[in-house]
Amino acid sequence: MPRAKAKKEEPVEAGSDVDMEEAPTSHQPENTDDMSVDQDDNDEEEGFEEDEEDEEDDVQRVRLLPGSTPTAASFEFLNEGHTLGNALRYIIMKNPDVEFCAYAIPHPSEAKMNVRIQTFEGTTAIQALQKGLQDLQELCDIVTDKFIDARERYAATTSS
Amino acid sequence: MDYDPMVMDDAEALGPVVKISQADSVRVKYELSNADLSFANSLRRVMLAEIPTIAIDLVEIEENSSVLADEFISHRLGLIPLNAEGIDSLLYARDCDCDGCCEHCSVRLTLHAKCTGEENMHVFARDLVPTGDRINQVLGTPIVSDAEGLGPLILKLRPGQEIKLECIAKKGIAKEHAKWAPSAAIGFEYDPHNKLRHTDYWYESDPKAEWPPSEYAAWEEPPQEGEPFDYDAVPNRFYFNVESAGALPPDVIVSEGIKVIQQKLAGLIHELAEEGGDGMNGDYNGPRSPEYGTGADGFGGYTTPFGNAGNQSSWGGAGGTTPYGTTPYGAGQSSWS
Repeated sequence: MPRAKAKKEEPVEAGSDVDMEEAPTSHQPENTDDMSVDQDDNDEEEGFEEDEEDEEDDVQRVRLLPGSTPTAASFEFLNEGHTLGNALRYIIMKNPDVEFCAYAIPHPSEAKMNVRIQTFEGTTAIQALQKGLQDLQELCDIVTDKFIDARERYAATTSS
Repeated sequence: MDYDPMVMDDAEALGPVVKISQADSVRVKYELSNADLSFANSLRRVMLAEIPTIAIDLVEIEENSSVLADEFISHRLGLIPLNAEGIDSLLYARDCDCDGCCEHCSVRLTLHAKCTGEENMHVFARDLVPTGDRINQVLGTPIVSDAEGLGPLILKLRPGQEIKLECIAKKGIAKEHAKWAPSAAIGFEYDPHNKLRHTDYWYESDPKAEWPPSEYAAWEEPPQEGEPFDYDAVPNRFYFNVESAGALPPDVIVSEGIKVIQQKLAGLIHELAEEGGDGMNGDYNGPRSPEYGTGADGFGGYTTPFGNAGNQSSWGGAGGTTPYGTTPYGAGQSSWS
């Protein structure tokens, strides 16, 4: 027991494996006391939520993969998938300064999405990514406006 | 978008168009045209799984003498749609400063019913009563949309049986659990005549006779007899049918969906701006982008697939990022030496 205690004082690196000795304490949900036995199946969900929170607080969600150069880079996005990947790929590919853009989800059980961008001279892959994100936002703005317009027009035609 | 319209199709240069064909309190049918399949699909995916709503997440059962097990009832309670109006001002329980849950991150509901009569008693969602402080007067109230005003049936009690419990409803998204889904179903369809051949119809003898035409078949030009296959064609008109589960009105689901995409993008833009575009970790041992020589990344040349020494720049003579220069194979002229 004293050994386990001494271990506990060492700072545990985020994301590193937890020692087996520590598993019982660290894996218990913190608020076990005020939950009765008759709870929903939430123990797991609680744990999951806490993990995700840590990730969002500490870990950067976009990372430039090594081996990248200014005009040809790969990015790794955490907690993103096809929802963002495919739309982003499309909008970046629309940029005439971009030579190539593709995305991949290397493994389905890892919440990671990779984007490869290669640009022509004169711009960088990071700029192309930033421009892509902004363009997609603008596209969203336009579609929102169009949808609200259409909704109002529909309401006007049905009520009159 | 400030791209040169010349590089786009004429239709696409006009920008996306939305046309609503039907809308009421449970569904909205609309057509999104002049947009790309990837964007339309993003919107569909986001409306299906990433719009925050509120659902019962914790149940404390005080008394349960019904025939159903506690966890069975808890599961049923979780699936009851609750009004999500004003969900934006509710915090995720994980982001809240409180210990466990409070009025800023949860809504409490109680259910207490006892069958005192001679006949079996039905307990409905309307019997779930929100208690305590709430952000507004409707958030977390069970949705009751049937004519009798009862809501979904939770359980039945025989004479003498009793159910007493307290629920805590929390904010969440359907990616975590389907009970947080705002939509009952999302219809998504394009190319009703299958001109693009994205679908391969199974048939006995004649697919035309055996498959009923789509309700949108009349909206688009049917293919001409003997028309050659246009392999350059891309889908352009997307027919959505968003059906609400009651928590949010259907039109709000659509606009919230777009908002969720924008929040995602805004978060990434913010993060990219913050780190100044340099997100490289020195001790990172994960996946790598394709290599070509050792560029400005300061990575040792020994890691390249072809083992060329680290003292040559990929920029010298390799032609920069021409289509052939950026492949993993064609870095320096002396890659093979």
